[in-house]
Amino acid sequence: MRWASKTSAAAYAGRTRTDLDGQVMETPWFAERPVSAVRPGDHGWLAYSGAEERDQVIGTFVREGLAHNEKVVYVTDAPPERVPGLGPRRRADAETYARLGQLRLISREDACLDRHGAFEPERMLDILAAEVDAAFGEGFRAVRLTTDYTWLLNGPSRSDLGRMLGCEHRVGDAVSPSTMAMAVCQVHRRACPPHELAALRDTHEVLVEVNPEFDDGILKIVRTFEPNGLRVEGELDAARHAVFAEKLSQVSMDRRRVHLDFSRLGFIDLGGLHLLAQHATALPADETLVLDHLPADVENVIEMVGWHRLPGLTRGGGRALPETEGIA
Amino acid sequence: MSEPFTHRLLPYDGVDEFLAGALPFLRDGVDQGDRVLAVTGVGREELLREELGLAAAGVEFADAATWYGHPSRTLADCLSDADNTAWQGRRLRVLGDPVWAERRQPLEVVEWQRIEAILNVAFRGTGATILCPYAGSLPAGVVAAARRTHPETVRDTRAVPNPGYIDPWAYSAECDREPLPEPPAGTDRLRIDRPDLYWLRAYVSDYARRTPLPEEDLQRLLVAVTEIVTNSLRHGAPPIALRMWTETSGEPALVCEVTDEGRWPSGSAFGLVPPRPGATGPGGRFGLWAVRLLCSIVQIRTGDRGTTVRLRLGLPAVPAARVGAGINRA
Repeated sequence: MRWASKTSAAAYAGRTRTDLDGQVMETPWFAERPVSAVRPGDHGWLAYSGAEERDQVIGTFVREGLAHNEKVVYVTDAPPERVPGLGPRRRADAETYARLGQLRLISREDACLDRHGAFEPERMLDILAAEVDAAFGEGFRAVRLTTDYTWLLNGPSRSDLGRMLGCEHRVGDAVSPSTMAMAVCQVHRRACPPHELAALRDTHEVLVEVNPEFDDGILKIVRTFEPNGLRVEGELDAARHAVFAEKLSQVSMDRRRVHLDFSRLGFIDLGGLHLLAQHATALPADETLVLDHLPADVENVIEMVGWHRLPGLTRGGGRALPETEGIA
Repeated sequence: MSEPFTHRLLPYDGVDEFLAGALPFLRDGVDQGDRVLAVTGVGREELLREELGLAAAGVEFADAATWYGHPSRTLADCLSDADNTAWQGRRLRVLGDPVWAERRQPLEVVEWQRIEAILNVAFRGTGATILCPYAGSLPAGVVAAARRTHPETVRDTRAVPNPGYIDPWAYSAECDREPLPEPPAGTDRLRIDRPDLYWLRAYVSDYARRTPLPEEDLQRLLVAVTEIVTNSLRHGAPPIALRMWTETSGEPALVCEVTDEGRWPSGSAFGLVPPRPGATGPGGRFGLWAVRLLCSIVQIRTGDRGTTVRLRLGLPAVPAARVGAGINRA
């Protein structure tokens, strides 16, 4: 097959990481990208927690492709109006894009099942390769491939993991050197046991996530879905209190408990803590704002001020666990 | 709470006078069902236990060296105790032996004396009762200052008004009458005119990492500096400037100074009174109080010639050669 190759995938060179027991493991190095930053050559991984997260990420992936003269190939049994990024109101658009060949919705049966209904990776690879090959001649500048593997992992036609891993490795080998193709593989986080999920994740070089709510290089705010809340990265001080308060109230609107993932928070000022406490005080009496993965030095400052002076704030989960990156 | 808050001075010479004042105070507390706390040294604790006999079971003893750890933190913790005890319908009764007066550096002693004054404001309405035994052997200035910070003196088990007692805020202002010493010659002055402070924190981190400041104290320094500069940007007048240096004489410290041309309004509490739990109040007041907790000592001077805030963080004692390296070059 011919996947419009570039020279190498050196950007994704392996790197050693340390696991929980302090043992050095040879695992792939992941590039993390918001979905809008996925580029040709990216073999991306999305372990989603539910339809809301999947639709936000994949919806963006599909819409932006269609909007930028890129071909979108989606292996799915869903009707067009149920495909993320298309939806009932865009049905007419979907038909137009399909007629132009820019949108290819391929059924699972056509894409990757053999005559007996069993998963046949070779078939899928051939079909995807053909779609990519055709795209250049069709006048598209890139091809976006995506499918949801969840049904293969927990459905009646469950494929064995080895076959899945082999398939993913080959998709990766095909996409990574490509100058035209990019792929996002979707899997529900609970489609299979955690070690299988981690093994599948490790066949990808790029962890895809939702676009940040805010990112100016100093402070980054990313919506999280499980648990419901925000990941706050970088530094939060008076210069960015307003945008943070706005995002915090947005994520609090549907009355679900809000968790703030502070694992990558480098700094929060006293005004920021005050803002958190004010927000928490306005919650119903039995509700609380949960601070997860507090870095030790930030926690030290909170302890100095006293948790009891920041009513409504609760310390949540422990330190960040790199092992669960991209799967939990 | 029906009982009024009291804060009394027990001047004494010798053990007998100490016991004559302290024992009735503690026994009364046990009899009345108070929460009784005796903050004192180990030797004194043994002495008190022996004299109290069975009543000692109703007294909590705390080691003064630990309890008097940090002026603002001790005030805040003790005030929380007083509030919590009052909510249980009891009275907090503290015998507080001012061990800080003998061993600490002059700058810190001033802050403890200031706390002796401010607690008269902070504890109002808690119903707590505090008795501070001051030995006649302490430096004369220390006992004289205590007469100005305690509303009453105990004489033969009777409390009499202290004629020397002055308004706590007036006392606190007197502590700050002396101008601050000049920063060391050659200290760089960094002008702050951008409201975005991440670059300022990078500068402060960079400087602090060339001093012996423990890494775990750095975040506290960054939070404190950010708060003071944010306050200057909001309420002060430009130019705002930052200077940093280390002091090796006396108590080794990293000093971070923020100056501006503004003047704080009269009646400012300077973050000295702890905010009550549940009422975090306006951010500014909570903020400055928290800054005091985060630093070893905070010094503030405000007046016609502008405002200076000095944040001091204690440095571990290290060989002089290391302290000298790379300092005052920032």
